[in-house]
Amino acid sequence: MTLELRDVHFAYGAEPILDGVNLSLSAGQFVVLAGPNGSGKSTILRICAGLLSPQAGRVQVLGGSPADPAVRRRIGYVPQGLRPPGTIPVSVQEVVGAGLVPARGLFRPLGRADWSRVRVALDSVGMSRLASECLFELSGGEQQRAMLARALVGDPELILLDEPTTGIDQRFRPVIAEELRARAAAGATVVVVTHDPEDFHHVVDRIVLLGEGPIRELGHDEFHAAGRSL
Amino acid sequence: MRNILITDFALRAYVAASVVGLTAPAIGTFLVQRRLSLIGDGVGHLAFAGVALGLLFNLAPLWGALIVALVGVIGLERLRTSGRLSGDLSMALVFYFGIALGAVVLSALNRFDASAIGILFGSVFTVSTSDLVTMVALCAVDLVAVGLIYKELLAVALDEETARASGLPVEALNVVTVAMTSLLVVAGMRAVGLLLISALLVVPVAAGSRIAHSFRGSMLMAMAVGVISALVGLLIALWQGHIAPGGGIVLTALGFFALSMAVGRRASRRHPRGVVA
Repeated sequence: MTLELRDVHFAYGAEPILDGVNLSLSAGQFVVLAGPNGSGKSTILRICAGLLSPQAGRVQVLGGSPADPAVRRRIGYVPQGLRPPGTIPVSVQEVVGAGLVPARGLFRPLGRADWSRVRVALDSVGMSRLASECLFELSGGEQQRAMLARALVGDPELILLDEPTTGIDQRFRPVIAEELRARAAAGATVVVVTHDPEDFHHVVDRIVLLGEGPIRELGHDEFHAAGRSL
Repeated sequence: MRNILITDFALRAYVAASVVGLTAPAIGTFLVQRRLSLIGDGVGHLAFAGVALGLLFNLAPLWGALIVALVGVIGLERLRTSGRLSGDLSMALVFYFGIALGAVVLSALNRFDASAIGILFGSVFTVSTSDLVTMVALCAVDLVAVGLIYKELLAVALDEETARASGLPVEALNVVTVAMTSLLVVAGMRAVGLLLISALLVVPVAAGSRIAHSFRGSMLMAMAVGVISALVGLLIALWQGHIAPGGGIVLTALGFFALSMAVGRRASRRHPRGVVA
């Protein structure tokens, strides 16, 4: 199993968000987590990325604990929302290159081969033309695509994306969906949290619904029909 | 006039101010990006207490400042990350403690005199050879550290949460960042003073970021502005004869910032796509 949650409980203060969640995902699966606001979708991603620890239950990611930095280096993660612009200009390729830093190791600068990978990652999200532009001067959708490229550049075995198509125009949404499908076909496990089922309904393997009683799986037709009501 | 410009004390001052002018923006670029622009000020407050405690315990002021600044700022970082106090509140409490302790100890030792003013506003023309060696060594440690872990510091500066999720040792890198800031502040104590060193961490970076289109470009531009400001400020102080070199250096850097405000946007429009500044 790439990812396994067993009887996971999590609460922000007194408010329980996850109440005994069980979920198992294997390599090569493309999964959408759906559900209303506050159902715990983003919390699950953050627990799997090692950013939150559950109050109870067991979480295993890529055969280890998400608290282990060696495990986290094999994960590509895009959090929800855009980062606030910084004071210093940062080029798109610098942002994407940062995705290779953990794998490269301490004291070893990024080399020619790494920058080639950056170009490939940018190309995969239709951003190669903007490699040298300042990130914060781009549109929200372009910034989001750069963040996706940053998550994908290290060829992670587990890809965790929270609302990855937010702000991205309709022209590029199929490009993103197909790229993620290709990653899953190559063996990566892809987990996407989304409120836009139509972006992914044709490429996902499983749809998991949270927040309406126990966690359950939706069929493709049910998922597509639910649309934005999720 | 020409003789003054090439005297031993002037030559030592050029080297001292230049290395500080080169190093401060290299660290300041990360601090500004992380919205920690004022941390240099706070470390200066702690270093002031360190100078006073150094005198109290018969330790060289520079070493007293270094020890207290390092211990204080690393402790502060731990306090901040533990969540026991909010970031700006914990900084304010510790830094005010530093300046107050320094003032009390120095006045109790009857040393709250011109030398204290020199510590606060710099006295680069009185830098001895041994002071200079220490300053260069402290700055060299900082520059080597930035060179070795540049990509990690950049990843954390861009987005701490994503850096943490990708397995980077964010807490350790934060401690290294504040420790580097401490070394720089202590190195700059004699060059521009504890109250003005923070300006060299920030102002050249503000100027560089108006011109460049990348983080690396901003840092290199800022380092150039830092060195040129240091040398021009010193030359003005030597030529004029009565103005404080620390203030002259910082005002020169602010002049470069004003210039960058005027030409930065034009440079941006001219900047061709596909070229990283």
